[in-house]
This record gives sequence, structure tokens and C-alpha cells, in this order.
Amino acid sequence: MNIRRVLIFAPTLISLVLLSSFFWVPSYDAQTRGNPGRLRQFITAAGGDANLLNPVLAADSSSGQINGLIFEGLLDYDENLNFRGRVAESWRIYEQAYFHLNDKAATARWGRVDGTTLVAKLSESLRQEGAAWDHVKDIALLPPESSTQTVTIGAPSAQKQVTLRIQAPARIRLTLDRVDQLLFDHLAVLLGPEYFSSFDPAPYVTPDAPLSSDSHLELARQVLPATVHNPVIEFHLRPNVRFHDGHALTAADVLFTYNTIMNPRNISPRIPDFEPVQSVAAIDPLTVRIVYKRLYSPALGTWAMGILPAHLLDDAHLQTEATAKGLKPGEFTLRKSDFNRHPVGSGPFVFEEWQSDRYLRLRRFEDYWEGAPNYHQYAMRIIPDPLTQEMEFYAGTVDDYNVLPHQVARLSRDERFHPFSGTALGYSYIGYNLRRPPFDDPRVRRALGMAIDTNQIIKYVLYGQGERITGPFPKQTDYYNHDVKPLPYDPQGALKLLAEAGWQPGPDGVLQKNGRRLAFTLITNNGNPERKAILAVAQDAWKQIGVEVNTDLLEWSVFVEKRVNQLDFDALILGWSMGFDPDLYQIWHSSQSGPFQLNFVGFKNAEADDLILKIRQEYDHRQQVAYCHRLHEIIAEAQPYTFLYVKRWTALLDKRIVRQINLPDGRVEIKPITPTKTGNYTYYFNQWIKLSHSPEATP
Amino acid sequence: MIAFFGRSVVQKSITLFFVSVVSFLVIHLAPGQPSQIDPLNPKFTREVVERMRQQFHLDKPLHIQYLLFYRDLFTGKTVSWKDSRPVLGKIYERFLNSLPLFILGTLLTWTFSFPMGIRAAIQRNGPFDKSTTFLSYVLISVPGFFFAYVLIILVVTHLNVPVIDMQTFGVTSDSVMVLFMDRVWHLVLPSILGATGGIAVLSRYVRGQMLEIIGMDYVRTARAKGLSYDGVYYRHALRNALLPFVTMFGLMLPGLIGGSVIIESIFGWPGMGRMAYEAILARDYPVILTLNFITGVLVLAGTFISDLLYMVVDPRIRL
Repeated sequence: MNIRRVLIFAPTLISLVLLSSFFWVPSYDAQTRGNPGRLRQFITAAGGDANLLNPVLAADSSSGQINGLIFEGLLDYDENLNFRGRVAESWRIYEQAYFHLNDKAATARWGRVDGTTLVAKLSESLRQEGAAWDHVKDIALLPPESSTQTVTIGAPSAQKQVTLRIQAPARIRLTLDRVDQLLFDHLAVLLGPEYFSSFDPAPYVTPDAPLSSDSHLELARQVLPATVHNPVIEFHLRPNVRFHDGHALTAADVLFTYNTIMNPRNISPRIPDFEPVQSVAAIDPLTVRIVYKRLYSPALGTWAMGILPAHLLDDAHLQTEATAKGLKPGEFTLRKSDFNRHPVGSGPFVFEEWQSDRYLRLRRFEDYWEGAPNYHQYAMRIIPDPLTQEMEFYAGTVDDYNVLPHQVARLSRDERFHPFSGTALGYSYIGYNLRRPPFDDPRVRRALGMAIDTNQIIKYVLYGQGERITGPFPKQTDYYNHDVKPLPYDPQGALKLLAEAGWQPGPDGVLQKNGRRLAFTLITNNGNPERKAILAVAQDAWKQIGVEVNTDLLEWSVFVEKRVNQLDFDALILGWSMGFDPDLYQIWHSSQSGPFQLNFVGFKNAEADDLILKIRQEYDHRQQVAYCHRLHEIIAEAQPYTFLYVKRWTALLDKRIVRQINLPDGRVEIKPITPTKTGNYTYYFNQWIKLSHSPEATP
Repeated sequence: MIAFFGRSVVQKSITLFFVSVVSFLVIHLAPGQPSQIDPLNPKFTREVVERMRQQFHLDKPLHIQYLLFYRDLFTGKTVSWKDSRPVLGKIYERFLNSLPLFILGTLLTWTFSFPMGIRAAIQRNGPFDKSTTFLSYVLISVPGFFFAYVLIILVVTHLNVPVIDMQTFGVTSDSVMVLFMDRVWHLVLPSILGATGGIAVLSRYVRGQMLEIIGMDYVRTARAKGLSYDGVYYRHALRNALLPFVTMFGLMLPGLIGGSVIIESIFGWPGMGRMAYEAILARDYPVILTLNFITGVLVLAGTFISDLLYMVVDPRIRL
């Protein structure tokens, strides 16, 4: 019967066609061993696709990784975390400092003097004082200036605009060959301690609308501060840097990149980095001068950001693109440009192809100023599943693999692979709400920390792939103070500390103080198995010493919006990921402890506040390190967080991948790949190449 | 007929309007911010966050946001917040990727379910029936990702061929046949896994329907009058058993845009399900809402087609 035959025949036919396709697929062997081109190709895998191939707009890690190869910044970090010139050949940091003549105050040394005399006297005495003032190169008197400025005042709901007429008094400008945040403190010795603080700007500022005298004074201080630091960075660019289309990279491109970031229509996530900039000027095609509004020591590092080609993205080009797409030029911004999917930069690799959610392909830039990379091609495959990533790595169609903690013990001993490991940037902690008792007592916080066996957490939750951490700085940087010892695991000591703080065991076994039981809720976000495990470990550890802990797991956005942002929690488990910069203002300064701010534990310490400001204003690395070490001590002493651990990462590479250095005389030198001091093994990526045999096999 | 058509369109437009309002509210009232706005990033000051919210119109009242969104959607100007690409273009691209998977999966489901279900019904309680019943329950109860992992590990380690993505990475060949068959091979595992659950369920339905029809008097009469075995079961009984399944064709329509999150993620397939899932995680509202709206349209269109099909195959039904 026909129908019956069809019913049997159809599935059989489909199965046969499908299965026969197996004989047409290139096997893994054909792709790896049988393919010499494969040795000149580096293939990596990423869990998520890139979003925007534009260093000014992108904020996700896959985009960052690709942007780092296509684009290049003025400088970057070298193997020891010092700055190294890239597009910029060299740079100079100096400062121009200004203060207004204060005709109300007499100077300490010379009494009441006019501007010209003051400049003369100052120059003379600074010369006499010698070495301490060597860095002051010039002192000049600037004539009074008048200007108008419009400012917005009032609460966000009732904003109004006020136009201020400013008739500033004469100023004195000091030019320094390095940045000195204590300049005015030192000058106060000569001019008198009150000279700067008694400067009253109010008479020089006339608002066009009536204002209360308080807000008048506040506005006047804002537009006419007594003293100003203007740090300046001058970059000298390399003459031979070209974009991938052959166009030379000049100061105009740097200026354009800055303007693109600051253009509010582009909503660049990098705006905060460049907000302290007062002006950027292209002095000549190879010199850029950046003047800052105030002391801002992270400034130099922000210029590691990739430089965009002005000749492809200026207003005229964007307008042409908008018209071609049939959009109104007014609605069209860089965010919508096709450039973000076909980028052109000046980095070592040229963009070639991007298949959404599948792969990105780059080829090397033959005219790269430092010489073309050894690899001819770079590909990033998007493989969301870790298991299939692993299978592809074993099969040789992916060259590196980020090992999961539980696999480290097994895979780092594997003969075929070269393992690398290092300390991650970022740590996990338990944070206490310092506004609420009992966490307002540092002894309680310390005792809670001592009751938890962090080493056991590292051993069992992280499979040993973590390290203790004692403070808020990245462990691999100089800023981290290794003299601060981690809290010991000591439940008895913890009990003693709690007893000191007045907590005694109650009838139900829970500690009590004045009839209040030591009970609170520990929360964290759902979806993070490590934090969930810590939640259980901490609950159990604290129960052992008589602390009653309830736990709660919340969905991430509820956790952030309803609990963290509203400061509605007792204690929480969370982590911070960090950069190399030691600026801790947002997370630890007392001014940042309101709702929706990041010092949500409410840490307040006057000395810490002072140090945090000094750190972000200090340009001298050694001095900055000294401040950081002290700040680390203060925070470790106060224990607003129980600092838990920083994770270790491990990556595997095929053993056949080596560094091949092409010497000027034409010879090549083969070196094994070694991680830098900071654990970054891809630092010399441009010199990597895959050999057909393991390096041991070659004589 | 025309009256039915008109009535359907009016009813379905009203339903669609409510679907659009409810889905809009559910998505906007759920906690969370677009991933571009990260409240725990130290670099994000209040002003930057405010400016971003303004850019996305998130500072406006909900009804204004609703109007803005649907105005953009119908004028084709909606762009994804993630990469500022037009949403419809993105969806179309993913639709083309998911389509072969959907077609092959459906083909496998339907071609395998019918012979299995019919045979199980005819040989009720026989060894074939018992083993397919057992197999069906295994397939229904074991999660798909488990089979996926087992299959991948077996194929990759024993057959030494790649299985993920839509084609072998970096495959180059002058022969169109090689490229085509390579693509077919990459379809095999995901579509088999996509179809297993469907086969398990659908073959049960087919078996149930067949059993019901086989028990009817007219089948017994036909057998009694001496018609051949095949003639009775495959000609008379099957036709009547098929009736309910015809309507299922219409209901499959929304599956076109569904895609499977798990299968697509495991196999690195750049399909619709993965895009929707990532959009939800990143709170990419334009993508989520557009997909939601299209799905709504397809569901309603699907039920309409079902109604029509029913009318075509069963002359007893008049609308």
C-alpha cells in the first residue's frame, strides 16, 4: 500500500541524506595538521559576541579585546605596569598653578604688597630656598580679566539659569616642571596661612538675578577659586603611525577622538575619564597638549584609549552616511554608523570580517609601525558554551582556553599544553552596613571576619584557585600593602572580641547585648554559585559562635535597585572588579555614601578621605604608593568589609605556540612564552607564532 | 466567509493591542536597567546615567514611551540599544539562520512521529508499542542539554569532526557540494536534538488518535467486510485520525521565530533564540518588544490559519 510505503520511506530517506553529509565534513585533522596555513592563524574563543567595534563607545569585554587589536592608544602599560608609548613617542607632564591676589590679606613675609612686587619677592625667595623649589620654573603676573559665565543652579526639579559677570582680580601664574599637589601648602609658609583661605571671591562676581548671600558666595567660589592647579600633558606622537587605510595618524585625530567622547549625543561610557579635561589642543601635527581643570592623577592612563580616524568619521562623513541611509542628519550619530561594524584603526590587526554571534576575523597590518605581527590572521570565534569551547580547544581549532577552577589540577599537568596563571583583577568581600548596629562597632566586624575560615572557602569553593586579600587595591600592583596581614581564623578570639564589645551568650545560645540578640540577614545576588556557597559557609561559621544569620538570594537587579542602592541591607556578599589605577573615590570616600552611591557600606574616616583625595591628585608614583599603603592599613583596621579573596585565572595554550623574535640581521630567535610580572601572558602577542612541532623537538 | 474574515481581523487586532500593552508593561515594570547603564560601575556618575536614560527615553512616562516605541516600530526606525543596528534587520538575519533548523526539526518530528505512532496503535501493547512508549517517556523526561552534551562528546571524540556553528570554521572549497553538505552536517545534531522532544510527544498523540479511530464501528465493519489490513488502517482510519493534526500546522507558525535558546547556545548557532535570550539579559527593550510583537502577530495569524484549514479538511465545519 502506497501510504504505508511513504510513511516508512520518508524518514529513512531524510536520515540517509543527513547522515551521508558526515562524509563531506572536513575532519579536525584536516583542519589542523593537514593545513599549513593554520600555523599562521591564531584562533581564540569568546563566550559572547562583540557589540560595537569602536573603542569610544564599547564597554563589553569581547569588543574590548578586538578593539585592542584594531585600535591603538597613545600609550599602554608595559610588563611592569609602567606606561609605555604607543602612538605617542614621549610625553611631558607639567603644571600651571594660579592664585588670585588677595588684597584683603597681608603676606606673612613682606606685608601688604602689590602684584609686581609679590612676583619679584616670590621669585627671589624661591631661588634662595633652593632645591625644594627647583620645580618652579616661572612666575608671572596676569592682569585682571572680566568675563561672563552662565551656570545652572537649584535642585533638579527647580533648575534655573544665572548669568554671572566676573571681574577677576589679577592672578599669579606659576609654571612647574612637575605636578605638585602641595604647592599652595608650601607657598602658605611664605604668604601666610590665611592668604589663600581668606580670599573672598564674592565682590568680583555679580549675578544677574538676586541670590541669597550664601548661594552667591558658593557660586563665586565655584567660578573663582582662590587657587587652581592646571596639570598639563604634552604628547609627542610618532611620525610614522598610519591608519589601516594608509592615512597618517596626527594630533588632529587625537583631538577628534576627545571631541567624540565628549559629544553628549554619542553617550560614550568614557565621559567620566575625560570630564576633568579643560582643553585639548593640537599644537602641531605631532604634538597634542591637554590641560586639566584640576589635579587628576589617573589622567595619563585614560589616553590608552584607541584613537579614531577623523578623516572617516568627521561630521561631513557622518552626514553623507545619514543621507545614504535615508535618515535625517540630526538623528544620525556615531552610534548608528557602519564604522562600528567595519572599523579602521591604527593597531597591529586590520578588520576583515564579522559574522554576528559566529566569528570575527582580522588580518595583520603590514605597515604597523612596530613591524607586522607574526600571525597573519586573528580570529575570535563566539562559542557560548564552555564545554564546546573545551572540545574545540582539544581538537586544535581554538588555540587558547580559559580553564575553569575545577579543571586546573587536571589540565595544568597535561603534556600537550602550556599553562599560565595569574591573579585576577577584582576581589570578593562581605560588606557590612556601618550605619546599623551592631556593625557600627569595628570589634564586631573584626570578630565576624575572624570567625570565617577564608582558607577553607578558597580550598573548597574555588578549588584552591584564589588568594587571600586584605585591602581594596589590586594585589599585583605596588599599591597593595603586603605588610597588612589577613585576619586569622580564630573563633575563640572572635568570641573574646565580641565579649569586649558587650556581647554575651544568651539563654538560646545566641549572643546578646542589652537584650538585643546578635541576629541579622546576609544577602547576595542569585546566579553566582560562589557567592551562594560563601553565603552558606558564613552562615554556618557565624552560627558556631552564636550569631543568628538569615540569608536571602535576590535577583541581580532587585538586589542592586532595592537593597544596595537604597542602603537597605545588614550585610551582603559582593565583588569589585578593578583597573590598575588606585583611585578609590567612588567606593570609599565618605561623600559617596548616600543612596545610589557606591560607598553603600557607609565607610567614613577623615584620614581615609584625605588620603583618597591625595591619591587621585598625586602624580608621583612613589608618593602615591605611600599614600595607598597607609589607606590600605586604615581600611584593613576598620574592617568595613571582610575581604575574602581574589581569584586566580588559568589559561592554556598549545605548547607549539612560541615567541619568535625577528632580529634586525634577519635571524630569528625562538623563546617560550612567559607571563609578565602581572600575569599577562599575551603581552608579546605580536611576536607569537605556532610551530609545526613542539619547540623541544627542534634542535 | 467574508464576515468571518472581517470579524477575525477586528478581534485579533484588539487582542494584539492588549498583547502589546501588557508585554510593554511587563518588560518595563520588571526591575533592571539596560546593560549600558551599570549602577555598580564606579565610572558611572549620576549625570552619565541620567543622560543615558534620556537617550533611551527612559525618563519619560510609560505611555509616552509606549507611543514612541510603536511609532518607531511601524516606521521601521527601531534600533537595538546594544549596537544601534535596526532591530528588524537583526531579526531578519537571525530568522534566516534559525529557519533551516526549524524546517529540518519539523520535518524530522512529523516524518518520524507518524509511522511510530501508527504502528504503536495498530500493535497495541505489543513489544514495539511498549518500547516506543518507554522511549518517549525517556525523551520527554531527560533534559535536552544532557543529550546534547553526550552527543557532542561522542561525535567530537570518536568521529573527530566539528559539530558547532553553522559550518566548519574556516572551511574553504571550490566545490559547492562540499560547502552544502558541510552545512547539512552542522544541521544534523541540533535538529535531531530539537526534534526528539517533538517526536516523543507527537507520536503519543498520533497513537492516541489512531487508537480512538481504530475502535470505531466503521473500522470494525470495514475489517468484517474483508477489506485488506492496510486498506483499513492506512486509508480509512488514518484519514480520520489526521484531522486534528491538520490544525497543528497553523499553530506551528510562531515556532518560526521562537528558536531554542539551549540548543542554539550549546551548538553556537547564531539563531533567534540566542538573540532573544541575550536581549533579555541585557534589557535590550527594543529587541525584546519587537520579537514579542512579531510573535503575537504570528500566534494570531496561526490560529486564523488553523481555523481555515479545519474548514477546508472537514466539510462538516462551517464558520
